[in-house]
Amino acid sequence: MNIDATILGAGVAGLSVAAELSARGARVRLIDPEGAPGPLACSWWAAGMLAPLCEGETAEEPVVRLGREAAAWWQAAGAAVTQAGTLVVALDRDRGELDRFARRTGGHETLDRAGVGALEPELPDRFASALHFASEAHMDPRAALETLQRTLAARGVRIERATPPQGQIIDCRGLAARDRLPGLRGVRGEMAILRAPGVGINRTVRLLHPRHPLYIVPRGDGIYMLGATQIESEGRGPASLRSVVELLNAAYALHPGLAEAQVLEIGADARPAFADNLPRIVRQEDRIHVNGLFRHGYLLAPALARMTADWVLEGNTSEFLQ
Amino acid sequence: MPVFYGVEIASPLMLGTAQYPSPAIMAEAFHRSGAGVATVSVRREAAGGDGGAFWDMIEGLGVPVLPNTAGCHSVREAVTTAHMARELFGTDWIKLEVIGHEDTLQPDPFGLIEAARILCEDGFRVFPYMTEDGILAGRLLEAGCEVLMPWGAPIGTGRGLNNLYGLRTLRAQFPGVPMVIDAGLGMPSHAAQAMELGFDAVLLNTAVAKAGAPAAMAEGFARALEAGRLAHEADPMEPRDMAAPSTPVLGLAELE
Amino acid sequence: MRITVNGESSQIAAEKLAAALDELGYGAARVATAVNGEFVPAAMRADHALCEGDRLEILAPRQGG
Ligand SMILES: Cc1cc2nc3c(=O)[nH]c(=O)nc-3n(C[C@H](O)[C@H](O)[C@H](O)COP(=O)(O)OP(=O)(O)OC[C@H]3O[C@@H](n4cnc5c(N)ncnc54)[C@H](O)[C@@H]3O)c2cc1C
Repeated sequence: MNIDATILGAGVAGLSVAAELSARGARVRLIDPEGAPGPLACSWWAAGMLAPLCEGETAEEPVVRLGREAAAWWQAAGAAVTQAGTLVVALDRDRGELDRFARRTGGHETLDRAGVGALEPELPDRFASALHFASEAHMDPRAALETLQRTLAARGVRIERATPPQGQIIDCRGLAARDRLPGLRGVRGEMAILRAPGVGINRTVRLLHPRHPLYIVPRGDGIYMLGATQIESEGRGPASLRSVVELLNAAYALHPGLAEAQVLEIGADARPAFADNLPRIVRQEDRIHVNGLFRHGYLLAPALARMTADWVLEGNTSEFLQ
Repeated sequence: MPVFYGVEIASPLMLGTAQYPSPAIMAEAFHRSGAGVATVSVRREAAGGDGGAFWDMIEGLGVPVLPNTAGCHSVREAVTTAHMARELFGTDWIKLEVIGHEDTLQPDPFGLIEAARILCEDGFRVFPYMTEDGILAGRLLEAGCEVLMPWGAPIGTGRGLNNLYGLRTLRAQFPGVPMVIDAGLGMPSHAAQAMELGFDAVLLNTAVAKAGAPAAMAEGFARALEAGRLAHEADPMEPRDMAAPSTPVLGLAELE
Repeated sequence: MRITVNGESSQIAAEKLAAALDELGYGAARVATAVNGEFVPAAMRADHALCEGDRLEILAPRQGG
C-alpha cells in the first residue's frame, strides 16, 4: 500500500492529525515508541477543558477564535463532550480578580449568589458572584484519545512502535521535538485526580486566586481532575510536594467537601510551547512539525489538524504555517 | 541614569520577569520600555529540566540581571539562596528579601540586617528590600549596602506609595544613597511620584505583567519615570494654600 | 542510601554529589546545589560526600520579581 504521510507521535496532536488526514482519504501511518498514548505523553495529564473564552484572559486572539471549533470537532470524532459551561469564581477578598477576568474575556454572564446556587447548589455560600461561560465544554481527555485510536483502527491505522516512515513526515513528538525545534520550551504543569463521591460539581469551575489559581473538571462518577500549576521548566519528573499541597489547599477553599476526597493520581508533565505560546506548523527539509500546543492541546488540535491536512493534501497555507 | 555599585543602568525602570502571559510578551515589554534591569529568581528544578530555555530568554534581553531571594523567611535560607543565585547567574548583585510575614510579605528588618551583613562580607552587592524605616536604612548601610530598596506598598497590591511622608523623610535622610522603590506600584503615576520625590529608580513586576497589554503598560511606566525625573531635576514649586494669579495683575484694564 | 531531593525521598547509589546529580537525571543541567541548607559550589560537587538522610536542594534560574 502506498502511504501518503507518516506521523511521529501519538499524543493529541499526532492522533488528531492522523484522524483528520485519514478522514479526508489519505493513507497514513502512525508511529509512537510507546505503542499508545500513556503517561509519557503530555496529553495524558490534561484536564480536557475546551474553554476558548476563559483562555482568552491571557492567550492570544487565535486561541479564542480557533478554539471555538474544538467542541464540534471532538463531538464529530465520537468523543463524549460535555457542554456544561465554565463557572469562574473568586473569594470575596479577591473580587477585583473577577472584575479583571470579566473585562478580558467575552461571552459570559455575571451571576449573583442565587445564580451560582442554581447552577452549582453546593457552592453558593462562599461565592457572592461568579462568571458563567455557558458555551464552553469539557471532556475526559484519555477517553477522547482512545476514541481517536478506535476510529483510526477502524480505518486500518494502528500505532506502530517502529517502522520506516513513508510519504510526508509529520512530526508530532511534543517536547521530544526540541532536538529539531530550538525555540520549543517546556512549561510544567502539575495536577491531581481525586475521587470525591460526596461532592457534586457539575461543570468546570475555575477559582481565581492571586497566589494559587485552580480549576476543577468533573470526569463523572465522583471523579475530579484538579489543575494545574504553570512553571517555566522542561522538567517532566514527578509533581513536587509544595505544588500538590497548594493545589489541594486551594481545592479545599473551593469546596470543603473535597477534604474527604481520595487522591487517585498525582501527575506532572511539561507542555510544549513556543515563545508566544501559540502553536505552529513548521516546515523543515525532511518533515513538517505540528507542535507548541502549550495549554491548548485539546482546544487547538482540531484547528491545527485541519490546517495540517489543508497543507499536506491541498497545498493551502494557513496562519500557523511557517 | 541611576548608578548601582558603580554600574550605570540604561533606565530607572527595573522590571520583573514573572507572571507574563508568554515569554514573547515579556520580551516585548522589555523592548518597548527600555527597562534597565531584569529581576529573576532561583527555584527547585525537576529532573530533566535546567531552566536553560528561560536563561536564553533572559540573556536575549541584553540587560543586567538582578536575582532575588524571594520567598526566603530566614537568614540562612536567604544567604544560601544568594550563593546559589550568584553561581547560576554569574553576578554578585542580589535583591535581598527576608520575608517576615506570609500574608503581608512584609520584610523582616532584623533578619534583613543580619543577612545583608553576611552577604556584603562575602562580596555580594546587596539590594535590600526593606520598609521605609530610617533606622533600618542606617543599619543596612553600616552592614555594607550601597543601594536601598524601600517598599511602596506590599508586594503585588498595586497601591502605590503608601507612606509618602516616611518615604520623603527617608530620601532626605540619606541624600547620596541610590534608592529604588520596590514593590506595591500599580500605575505609572505612582512611578512618576517616586521619581518626583527624588528616588532613583523603581522595581515592579505585577503592574506590568498582569495588565491586559503588558508592553503598553511597561512603556507607560517608562514615560512616567522620565516625566518624574525631569520634574525632580527641574526643582518643583512648593504647594501653598493661598491662590496666586499666574497672569500679571499689573496693567489690567479698568472696564467697569 | 536514602536522601531527600527537593523535598522528596530518593534512593541513590552514588556517594558523591556530582555522581548523584548524574544519577538523578540532572546531567549537565544548569543548576545550583545545596546540601542540608549549605551551598555547595559546582566546583566542589565531585568531592562532596553525601550521607544517609541528607537534604539536597537543586535549583535552576526562574522568573522573578
Ligand atoms: C496539567 C495539564 C493540564 C492540561 N489541560 C489542558 C486542557 O484542559 N485543555 C487543553 O486543550 N490542553 C490541556 N493541556 C495541554 C495539553 O496536554 C498539551 O498541549 C498536549 O498534550 C500536547 O500534545 P502533543 O501531542 O503535542 O504532545 P504529547 O502528548 O507529549 O505527545 C507526544 C508523543 O510523541 C511520542 N514520541 C516521543 N518521541 C517519539 C519518537 N521519536 N517517535 C515517535 N513518537 C515519539 C511520545 O511518546 C508521545 O506519545 C494540559 C497540560 C497539562 C500538563
